[in-house]
Amino acid sequence: MQELTRDRIPLFLTRNVPPSIAPEFKGRGLKVPALEKGIRHVAGMIKTNYAQWESASKKGLFQKTDPRIKILFLVFFIIIVSLKREVESEVLIGMLIFILAWLSRLEIYSFYKRIFVLGFLFGFLVSLPSSFNLVAKGEIIFPLLSFSGPYEFWIYRIPADIGITKEGLYGVAMLTLRVMNSVSLVFLVLHTTSFADIMKTLKIMKIPDALLITASLSYKYFFLFARTVEDMHLAKKSRQIRESRPAEARRWVAGRIAMIFGKTQKRSEEIFRAMLSRGFSNAVQIYGFKKLRGWDLGIGLALCSAGVLLLWI
Amino acid sequence: MISLEKVNYNYFDTIPALSNVSLEVAQGERFAVIGANGTGKTTILQMMNGLIHPSSGKIFFRGYEISKQTLKDRGFLRFFRERVGFVFQDSDVQLFCPTVLDDLLYGPLQLDLNEGEALDRASEIMTMLKIEHLRDRPTYMLSGGEKKKVAIGSVLTMNPEVLLLDEPTNGLDPKTQCFLVELMLALNEAGKTLVIATHDLSLVDELQATVGVVSEEHRIEKIGTAAQILKDEELLLRVNLIHEHIHRHGNVAHRHIHSHYLFHRHEG
Repeated sequence: MQELTRDRIPLFLTRNVPPSIAPEFKGRGLKVPALEKGIRHVAGMIKTNYAQWESASKKGLFQKTDPRIKILFLVFFIIIVSLKREVESEVLIGMLIFILAWLSRLEIYSFYKRIFVLGFLFGFLVSLPSSFNLVAKGEIIFPLLSFSGPYEFWIYRIPADIGITKEGLYGVAMLTLRVMNSVSLVFLVLHTTSFADIMKTLKIMKIPDALLITASLSYKYFFLFARTVEDMHLAKKSRQIRESRPAEARRWVAGRIAMIFGKTQKRSEEIFRAMLSRGFSNAVQIYGFKKLRGWDLGIGLALCSAGVLLLWI
Repeated sequence: MISLEKVNYNYFDTIPALSNVSLEVAQGERFAVIGANGTGKTTILQMMNGLIHPSSGKIFFRGYEISKQTLKDRGFLRFFRERVGFVFQDSDVQLFCPTVLDDLLYGPLQLDLNEGEALDRASEIMTMLKIEHLRDRPTYMLSGGEKKKVAIGSVLTMNPEVLLLDEPTNGLDPKTQCFLVELMLALNEAGKTLVIATHDLSLVDELQATVGVVSEEHRIEKIGTAAQILKDEELLLRVNLIHEHIHRHGNVAHRHIHSHYLFHRHEG
């Protein structure tokens, strides 16, 4: 091999900028296209996972409880949330979840921040149109528009007075509370139980192994994926000087998706071979699952009683 | 040229990654940040490139502070990015254009160089790195060594003053490793400042770099010349860059301090 010496270095590389040249401050920043912002947010999910792992390691009420009890509690209470038809009951369930989250030492603000966002998007906004008397009849409590008379249009009927009805608002409140309660129940269990324990519990509950293996590998891959995305974002940032045009950003994202797809395929094959080489036989083996303690039975009984009480009132 | 002053950094705002790190890299210097896995070498380099920012402490390039705020100014961003280049450990994440040539042209075109000049630079870099035959090849069809050369080339076409190289020889065959060492020395001779993160003591010896040793507590343990650091067995043992090792020669067992390069010395 021919030795690489200074005289074989391209001339432009030897032309260094004089240190005296100062930066020209322009007072304006770069605009980041929405697509790239999205990629940055994917990378932020590693942090979310870390926060979840940390909260599952705390010494709170639910963290000390056996995952089997928590999974049964989740299923039982999701059914209760769906069965109840009164706003008061949903509020009571919400209060119970709040107390459990507080006793489990979860960070209440970050816990409820996402619950409120999801409740607003998938509960309030989805059901909002039903609060108008255009969708369902009812007693108008907030009149909005008045016409000279009702209009008939194909199969639709537009009433003379349009407004928000009492029954509609009640329905919106019910759906929003149901969504928030269901999401907070899931988050309560996820934030207080490690992923490995959830998998073990599902195995005990006879969930098919194929599903568990898929879920387990997908979960792990998801974080590898998020890390790769974060690195790719940093690599681009390190060479980016001017704004990317939307078309450039789209090309970059498309190229990166292709790269990730290729890497994923290669990795999945390697993982499967690694599993085979360690004796994988299409079955999930679990270990170290302890018997239920008095504490778990006590918590289970208390939660069951609370559930029955909520069903009864 | 680049200085870190009492820099602290925590992952996810809790796990410490760097603790009270202060160091200075002079113009034209070869500087190696060495330490065991997970000590924070990559974090130091990413901070020097303004990709992540310290939880506390300050970083300066030519006397200008590198912070989230200063890099928001497009004038300063250009000043900084065209002078400081970063070669990532994983070349796959760095090569994001459809072909080798596109990747080499990305930087010069960002700098608003005209197409002719950008193509000239790309062509000269390909000749120097002996990758002309890969010009139109998609980067996912390259070997590890070829990818590394293209990744270095993609940064060199921007002609930065400072090259930050994260584990540049990791996972490469001996011939490519040797080529990269020669390349780094030649670039340094041409006036480039080199900052390398590595745990490869032989690379530190070959480059005869100034060395900053990072401990497993994420602190700078010592800064010195390659000769001073490589002589300090007690320090290298403490930071887990060398270890005690038992092996046999025929029927005789030996215990000695072991590194894959420097410290294979028998005591009895």
